[in-house]
Amino acid sequence: MTQVATFAVEHSAYLDADGKALQPLPEALAQPDTLRALYRWMTLARAFDAKAIELQRTGRLGTYASCLGQEAAGVGVGYAMQPEDVLLPSFREQAVQLVRGVTATELLLYWGGDERGSDFHGPRQDFPISITVGGHAPHAAGVALAFKLRAEARVAVCAIGDGATSKGDLYEAMNVAGAWQLPLVFVVNNNQWAISMPRAEQSAARTLAQKAIAAGFTGEQVDGNDVVAVTDVVGKAIAHARAGGGPRLVECLTYRLSDHTTVDDASRYRSDEEVSRHWHEDPLKRLRLWLEREHGWSAEDDDACRAECEASITAAADAYLATPPQAPESLFDYLYETLPDDLRAQRDALLAEPRDEHGHG
Amino acid sequence: MAEHTLLEAVNLALRRAMADDERVLVLGEDVGVDGGVFRATDGLQQAYGANRVLDTPLAETAIAGIAIGLAAQGFRPVAEIQFMGFIYPAIDQLISHASRLRTRTRGRLSCPMVLRAPYGGGVHAPEHHSESTEAMLAHIPGLRVVIPSSPRRAYGLLLAAIQDPDPVVFLEPKRIYRAFREALDDDGVALPLDRAEILRAGTDLTIIGWGAMLRECLSAAEALAADGVSAEVIDVATLKPLDSATLLASARRTGRVLIVHEAARTAGYGAEIAARIAEEAMFELEAPIVRVTGYDTVMPLPGLEQKYMPNRARILAAAHRVLNPS
Amino acid sequence: MSDNVFHLPDLGEGLTEAEIVTWHVRAGDRVKAGDPLVTVETDKAVVDIPAPRSAQIVECHGAEGDVVTVGAPLVTFQGGAADTGGVVGRLPEAAAVSAPAVEPPAPSAGQRQRVRASPKARQRARELGVDLATVQPQGAIIQAEDVERVAAASTTPGTATVVDAGKSSRDLADTSGATALRGVRRAMARRMADAHRRVVPALVTDEADISTWTDAQRPLPRLVRAIVAASAAEPLLNAWFDDAALTLNPQTGVQLGIAMETDDGLFVPVLRDAETRTLTEIGTAVTELEAAVRSRSIAPEALRGQTISLSNFGAVAGQHAQMVVVPPQVAIVGAGRAFERAAWVDGAARGQRVLPISLTFDHRAVTGVEACRFLLALLDDLHRSD
Repeated sequence: MTQVATFAVEHSAYLDADGKALQPLPEALAQPDTLRALYRWMTLARAFDAKAIELQRTGRLGTYASCLGQEAAGVGVGYAMQPEDVLLPSFREQAVQLVRGVTATELLLYWGGDERGSDFHGPRQDFPISITVGGHAPHAAGVALAFKLRAEARVAVCAIGDGATSKGDLYEAMNVAGAWQLPLVFVVNNNQWAISMPRAEQSAARTLAQKAIAAGFTGEQVDGNDVVAVTDVVGKAIAHARAGGGPRLVECLTYRLSDHTTVDDASRYRSDEEVSRHWHEDPLKRLRLWLEREHGWSAEDDDACRAECEASITAAADAYLATPPQAPESLFDYLYETLPDDLRAQRDALLAEPRDEHGHG
Repeated sequence: MAEHTLLEAVNLALRRAMADDERVLVLGEDVGVDGGVFRATDGLQQAYGANRVLDTPLAETAIAGIAIGLAAQGFRPVAEIQFMGFIYPAIDQLISHASRLRTRTRGRLSCPMVLRAPYGGGVHAPEHHSESTEAMLAHIPGLRVVIPSSPRRAYGLLLAAIQDPDPVVFLEPKRIYRAFREALDDDGVALPLDRAEILRAGTDLTIIGWGAMLRECLSAAEALAADGVSAEVIDVATLKPLDSATLLASARRTGRVLIVHEAARTAGYGAEIAARIAEEAMFELEAPIVRVTGYDTVMPLPGLEQKYMPNRARILAAAHRVLNPS
Repeated sequence: MSDNVFHLPDLGEGLTEAEIVTWHVRAGDRVKAGDPLVTVETDKAVVDIPAPRSAQIVECHGAEGDVVTVGAPLVTFQGGAADTGGVVGRLPEAAAVSAPAVEPPAPSAGQRQRVRASPKARQRARELGVDLATVQPQGAIIQAEDVERVAAASTTPGTATVVDAGKSSRDLADTSGATALRGVRRAMARRMADAHRRVVPALVTDEADISTWTDAQRPLPRLVRAIVAASAAEPLLNAWFDDAALTLNPQTGVQLGIAMETDDGLFVPVLRDAETRTLTEIGTAVTELEAAVRSRSIAPEALRGQTISLSNFGAVAGQHAQMVVVPPQVAIVGAGRAFERAAWVDGAARGQRVLPISLTFDHRAVTGVEACRFLLALLDDLHRSD
């Protein structure tokens, strides 16, 4: 028997759960300004998450998928991307979207049930979030193909969860990305749970990163709670793709500290003890400890940072709550570029629907 | 003016569109070097290069999804699904993404793509190669579903589909890919979408069909004319969105309607047309609306295919029922 | 007070109730927006509900263990901004939408053994007044031409097959410019027809001497105050009449519906608790209602609950009018166009400014004397000089 191929999957980490360096931080990311900026984005994402849940619990937002505990995996990806790159996010990538310039008000509009929330004023070419699990992976291949055909130095970044790695859509997209050497980076936000299905039951594969190997490109793991590691490794994958080196897959090992969504109750399938254990891995805590130890970050600094983020999110929520509702006919107005004749009567019927009136006369 | 088959007309339209607009790309299984299993894309890769005519891996979800990504980036992809029987893995992409990208981003992103697929029976093809499931697609808001019935109409409608700013599923009736030729001017002129076409004017009976069935319909109309019955034959052409106005006007004129499709009957697209005519023109009808369709059975292997497909005899029998209701 | 009540929102997707597990606050507590108020258990999960705003708590509704339905009051706050909770995915109450009444098809002769006819033949038979039962078809079923043949053969008066030889009104009317009624206008059409079917209207009119009014005085606030006074004098006209139960319920407060017209149609917004307001306050409230109606920002709640109504039709034209009483109300007051006249008063002629007053009442609910007593009190108040 001859061995025809061997493969390895690498794992990277810089800061451990106690904020101690496992190896020297990469120089570009070790600067205090950079670290503070990363910390501020994570704080903002967490404040957004808390506000969204508060709004949902008081009847002012629809079902919402929290990203609690996954701020590093999000912020790192957003920070590693360039403005001209294109993000194709799953539904738990609020942190990446915020860094990309999608406003908190837009995110709330979307989760509040208003399509205008996906009309991003920042990253105009970024895709709206994909509720279909992995359904957007082939689009990422298409976007990356567009970059390649136009010889643009741009990269498509497809963010998916661990559940999507079981789907054919992702395999098809990874396969074609490998075959065509597309400038495409897949980021698997492995938070260990696909609703109630734990990672160990999701796949017998030792790592999710190794799925890339079958498609002919590198897959690697990173500590997804270590924003320095995520930024570094995803950044390198993006640079590699931008330089024409083809696709890569980065599996961020993190943990969903929240329920799957606001209509889920995670206590039905996992223990409080498990969740408490993972709070120890909190991505914000470890960077804060590092900043305190290495860069004189004080409790006052921390309070000020949190207060600033919360104020910014509160203002965004107020703007969301004050947004006038969409005109009902907008149902029809974006269906096609020009409303077909066949739909005019339906649009008129919508406008003529009897209102809920109690006016006497 | 040269005469062409429907297949050649598709090829001519693709060439013309690629020549006129560099955003137009062709992608699919075996569309490049091989020129497509039916040769619809024959010679395109030699003419426009492998960067504009792309052989994809065998993955229908990816083909549709890549087209969506390309379209959102400003290309005008024309993707081929080799047979309609293999379109189902792409349906999720059409329903969940292509048809709604414009709506869900309030017009920020759009999806000007064409998904071509040969469809329908009558060519003794293997299993899964002969179905007509157009009604499934016509049910989806945000899509266009276009079916040509002749070489000239294929040429003009495919050009229009490629120019259209929204996703179009373009179903090519493979039974008439090479069945006949038609004089065709390769002038780059598109036909209007969303418009039914009266192929033959008549006063006594309206026969409505699309795709390969129109050959049978026209032949039946010919036979009826010999009996002194004047049948109007209409090519629906764009199933979604439907040109109700043309169909209703004809139904009102003749008072009698026959709808023909080779797809299975139940919840077939004929039901939609019949419902609209019943809703809008009931009191101008002299007889119940009658459908001539494939049976509600699994599309058979070629051995029984001809028993399944509606033909002239079945259309004529139904026409007599509509003309002499009892 | 309802502005300060926070209602239990739908915490999931279509949940209808939740059980109170633990209260984290008590009446008197002051909370910040986001502080936990209460833990509840739904069919899907145990969740904490945070405070929607910063405020002091007046009351916690429900005890631990109670099941609260979605939309029921949960917490009453002191002051603060209005609760706009529950905006996401809120469904209109189906019962509140007035659906068009469905008329059963008129029974026709031969309903039991239906004639076999094409739809077009049925249509022509209706248009030409031909009874299908009398038509002998040439084929298996009756077709339009069979009907037309019968109609042509029966132009002689007295022929049995022709029910009505004249053209139908549909043929005579020019319908080319017809437009379908929508929205408010459509609601008005239904409401008026309903009122006309149910109410027995009676009209009594008189004239108020308003010579003492100052030029600046607008009639509406005065009319409102006069209706309040009349309602106090004769409460049976400020009442709701339940024509199913045959009960008459005089109302303590005067919820006065004031008819206001817009391009979209007729609105009757309610001036709430008119009896509690001074003339100046009434003036302000009327102005606000007018503005809200004009800008179409009037809340649906402000269009409900009238106990009596007022129409100032004289602002356009007309002196006296029979108006429509909308059930369950029993009366509507109308003011016509004021005019000047020479009147014989205390043995001498003098100029007088007069406001014509109409009172339409539902004679099923109140008597003529009761109505006149109401009218007298109304005039007395209008005659006051202030």
